[in-house]
Amino acid sequence: MDHVWDFTSVIASRKLLLIGLLHTVELGVLCLVLGLTAGAFVGAARYSRNRWVNWPASAFVEVFRNTPALVQIIWFYFAFPILVPIDIDPFLAATLGLSLNTTAFAAEIYRGGIQSLGRGQWEAARALGMTYGQQLTRIILPQAVKRMVPAFMNRAVELMKMTSLASVIAYGELMHQAKTISTYNFNPIETYTVVALIFFALIYPLALAMQQVERRLRRSE
Amino acid sequence: MGYEWDFGIVLRNADLLLLGLANTLKVTGLALAFGLPLGLALALGRLSPRRWLRAPVGLVVEFFRSTPPIVQLFWFFFALPLLTGIEIDPFRASVLTFSIQSSAFFAEVFRGGIVSIERGQWEAAKAIGMARGQALRRVVLPQAVKRMIPAFLERVIELMKTTTLVATVSYADLLYQANNIAQRTYRPLEVFTVAAVLYFVVLFPLSLSVRGLERRLARSGETTAH
Repeated sequence: MDHVWDFTSVIASRKLLLIGLLHTVELGVLCLVLGLTAGAFVGAARYSRNRWVNWPASAFVEVFRNTPALVQIIWFYFAFPILVPIDIDPFLAATLGLSLNTTAFAAEIYRGGIQSLGRGQWEAARALGMTYGQQLTRIILPQAVKRMVPAFMNRAVELMKMTSLASVIAYGELMHQAKTISTYNFNPIETYTVVALIFFALIYPLALAMQQVERRLRRSE
Repeated sequence: MGYEWDFGIVLRNADLLLLGLANTLKVTGLALAFGLPLGLALALGRLSPRRWLRAPVGLVVEFFRSTPPIVQLFWFFFALPLLTGIEIDPFRASVLTFSIQSSAFFAEVFRGGIVSIERGQWEAAKAIGMARGQALRRVVLPQAVKRMIPAFLERVIELMKTTTLVATVSYADLLYQANNIAQRTYRPLEVFTVAAVLYFVVLFPLSLSVRGLERRLARSGETTAH
């Protein structure tokens, strides 16, 4: 039809969009840091030979990888508060859901990266008299982390997209702001177009950087 | 905590949840049925020697891969009908969004698989007089598809998880039904836990088969395309 595009009401709402963008980045970065940190421990636990350590870690990873992130967020928002005596606001629920989700995926990246190194590396380190911890931190991890970088960047891309799920429980990130703006101004066409472009501008450089790193690693290995 | 679990409520509403699960599978299946061929077309467009085709197709693929699916869904549900004057119900908007969204990811799987086939295969096909299309259909794709299977299954898992978004435009998928039941019975803990379990029961075997296939392909000396 003959829709006349009119971005004035979107531009007038730029402050709301900016606040939303800040919240999106804040949530994304926080969950990435939490997820990559906790993922190292869960990944190590999955690697353990002790069944009491390795089994719960595996169950955790499989549950969070094989259920939808939106269900996780909603579960933490509506169901979890019944089990624990604390108030859970949308930000905390989204942070819990997304950082645990990232933890599970990161654990698999750590595990895959460590497994990709040949046994010889461990054996050589042991032959030099290193303890298990020394072997891991001085020999294995420095080599493995390099190979994991593209996968971590991919997680960052997925996570930034997933932050938009927090809008479902009314956390004021970019997508939630878009809903508000389009409802007040009756301008869903312009608002959702602009918000899609903002997300693209935020996420695409990350995706490009990832491809670049991947290419460089392939050449050097 | 003194909370008393009561799964009886979930059991009494099992038919609604299962109906939701069926709808989830329906959207996933349809998006897959449209997304796969569209993905192949996009992959071929991106691999085309013609720049005027390669560049726009690349942009479409990157755009749909780099924006959140919920934004896409809202655009197709709220903005597209205003732009075109065509009414779109939640079901159609969902199938449309997830067909296109998944096709962008499938395109990259196809492309990765096709690129992974050695040049010699193309050259040999050409040497025995095949056109480019024939070489693709008869020589390259049959070999490439085998390598792509794990990545495809991985995408199917992601697709099914992503379809939970249809609940936000009121299509009665599993999550939407769970939300309704939870609000009606004041039992979100049981209902959402069971909904998560239902997703897990469908997705976990798929994940296991991806791993099994990858192992088998690795043993037979095949690389897998990602």
